[in-house]
Amino acid sequence: MSNFYAAIEIGTTRTVLAIGEDEPGGRIKITCHAEIPSTGVRKSQILDINQATTSIRSVLRAIEKKQSEAGSTITLGNAYLVVSGQHIKADPFQGMIPIEGAKVGSDELDAVFRSSRTMQLPKDRELLDIVDQDYEVDGLRGITAPRGMSGRMLRLNTLQIHADKSRIDNARTAADDAKLEIREPLFAATCAADAVLEEHEKRNGVLVLDIGGGSTGYAVYFDGHLASTGVVGVGGDHVTNDIAHAFQTTNAQAEQLKIESASAIIGTPGEPRVKVPGSSPLMETRTISRRALDTVVNARLRELFTVIRDTLEEQDLLNRLHAGAVLTGGGAAMRDIDALVQRELGMPTRTGKPVNVDGLDDEKFPAAFAAVAGAVMYAGRADEGRSILDGILGRFFK
Amino acid sequence: MSDSSSMMLIGIGGGGSAIARGIRRAFGEGLRFLTIDTDASSATDDDRFLLIGGDRLSGRGSGGDFVAARLAAEDSIGLLDSEVEGVRLAVVVTSLGGGTGGGVTLEAVKRLDSLGIPSIVFATTPFTFEGEDRQRSSRGVMTMIEEAAGATFFMPLDKLVANAERLDDAMRRAVDTMASAVTLFWRLVEKPGYIRLDAERIRHLVSKAGRGRFAAISSQSPERARDISDMLARSPLLATGSGPVRAILCGVLAGDDLRLAEISTISEGVRSAFCGQTTSFELATVNDEDTFSGRISVVLMLFEAGAKDDSGDADDGVVGKKRRKRTARTLGVGPQGRGRFNNAEPTIWNGEDLDIPTFLRRNISLDV
Repeated sequence: MSNFYAAIEIGTTRTVLAIGEDEPGGRIKITCHAEIPSTGVRKSQILDINQATTSIRSVLRAIEKKQSEAGSTITLGNAYLVVSGQHIKADPFQGMIPIEGAKVGSDELDAVFRSSRTMQLPKDRELLDIVDQDYEVDGLRGITAPRGMSGRMLRLNTLQIHADKSRIDNARTAADDAKLEIREPLFAATCAADAVLEEHEKRNGVLVLDIGGGSTGYAVYFDGHLASTGVVGVGGDHVTNDIAHAFQTTNAQAEQLKIESASAIIGTPGEPRVKVPGSSPLMETRTISRRALDTVVNARLRELFTVIRDTLEEQDLLNRLHAGAVLTGGGAAMRDIDALVQRELGMPTRTGKPVNVDGLDDEKFPAAFAAVAGAVMYAGRADEGRSILDGILGRFFK
Repeated sequence: MSDSSSMMLIGIGGGGSAIARGIRRAFGEGLRFLTIDTDASSATDDDRFLLIGGDRLSGRGSGGDFVAARLAAEDSIGLLDSEVEGVRLAVVVTSLGGGTGGGVTLEAVKRLDSLGIPSIVFATTPFTFEGEDRQRSSRGVMTMIEEAAGATFFMPLDKLVANAERLDDAMRRAVDTMASAVTLFWRLVEKPGYIRLDAERIRHLVSKAGRGRFAAISSQSPERARDISDMLARSPLLATGSGPVRAILCGVLAGDDLRLAEISTISEGVRSAFCGQTTSFELATVNDEDTFSGRISVVLMLFEAGAKDDSGDADDGVVGKKRRKRTARTLGVGPQGRGRFNNAEPTIWNGEDLDIPTFLRRNISLDV
């Protein structure tokens, strides 16, 4: 029997749950996934735990229904949690040890690894991940295999990704109330990157932009490792809010305009006026200028990508990304957003279909599921030998 | 109100303590003063000194580690409570980029805030050549300090001491310049002149004011008022704003020879350089013949739009309801501009609230 793995993302606009299983050859296949609109979440932050619990219950019911229709009887007991939001930070931390025998051996590698895991976080932070970057021997950086090297001091550079503990706990509480055990929190942007990037892209330098509803995560890979990552608290919801404010529409109308009519680029061919259906039967349909609509969207997205560009420039990373940018998340579905990224960041840009995981080919916009797909992949690597069925027992014995 | 005990100067970390001592030397007696550090050896005989993190760091300093300093401060920042009894406003001077300056300052202003004491934080940020790690550390803690402090003035060392050739000279000049500038601010509050600004008014102005820009300029040339206007307009410390200026506080300190025409020249120069149509402007003067004979010094504070809390209950000045109305007119938005993000943590970038629609902040007109 295959092992099954699950991941859930309680996002600003939607709650997504995906289940995957091992395939021959070591790959993971997403066998079932479901999404429902989120409530009680703003800017990737749970504001109402009861509403978030309701969203989780709904997505659990949706996935159980799908599985039932497919003839499966698996009941989900636990899942990895995909988190995003501007409370997530990444700090560099360096493990450092003297090289006792003048050459780096197994003892030194073990010791520097342990040293790199000693960073203390404030009480209000929770560690999401520690990513090894490269080794340094006597100040020489960029070493990937230091064994056998001579020197006096060995360092291991890492990125420590951490999040606001209370926000993770709120998600845990909401899931717990829905009888779903949360395994580990995982960072959305790096999960998405794991799902969509190929190794040669990581070596040549690549940027992943995971554009969610309430925030946009970025992950920069260079020389094969994660060089930088972070979150900007602006996402697709900001585009919706701007449209609603500019044209005096409801959020639902604005969302519809964003998805169906707007372009991230001003002046693309199309009808000059866009219909805005009335928000109630008593309200008449009206039209607005498409150019004005695109102007609002363009201004917001250009600003977001300027923030990203400035951040990468400050870290001297922007000009090293020869493999370009890859867009994931629901926000990546906005029309012409790839062209705008290409223009603003000055690099080739593509939409990130999850290529390292199977089962999403029939999905209309697979890039929107990249983060949960990547989290399921992580679960597969981490859980070899332990399946979500363990969680089922946990659930029954609660 | 000019009760000297109502306002307290707090220097945090090695750099901040040096600046605070410079201010005390310049100001003289009557200044309520405290230095805080994780390094026991930095105390001097003249200091009212608070050692933070003794159990965790053994008084040996944080070694430039922000996290270690913050954890140490979390352990023992409660020691601050007895030191600030009766204080109505805290002026914190510090230097960011290392460990104690950032980690302890953050916990200190949070503690002060929890005690109902607003704080004005004057902080230097690292030289560019100090490296990206220190710059990033500094930027991170700036945002966190802003959340807890009443008003923050971050001054990049690159701009505070341009043209210094040697590092020791640059560091000494940075401390001296900061100390001089904050001393002028202190005099403005504690020794009010004919157009007065006392500690309680300052407390009112800076409560929840957010990030601002700050500079102090002096001249004793024959054209001193015009020189000052020109220097203020060109000051790199004032030019690096991250948002439109919504309120200005201008303090003019001079001897008995201060002429009305000079006040007018400075006032018009400042308005011309920094005021928008809806920027509020407040002027105060100090007349102190002993200190300023033949000289004019000007302290200028520019408060930027996007103050962190528009729910203040003040009835005038740069906080509270009236300011909210002004901000709304300036930006073309009110609180409703944040729309569905009203109750969510704001996204602040370079002092701008990115939750407010971009087209409004950029004044982009729409032909709907």
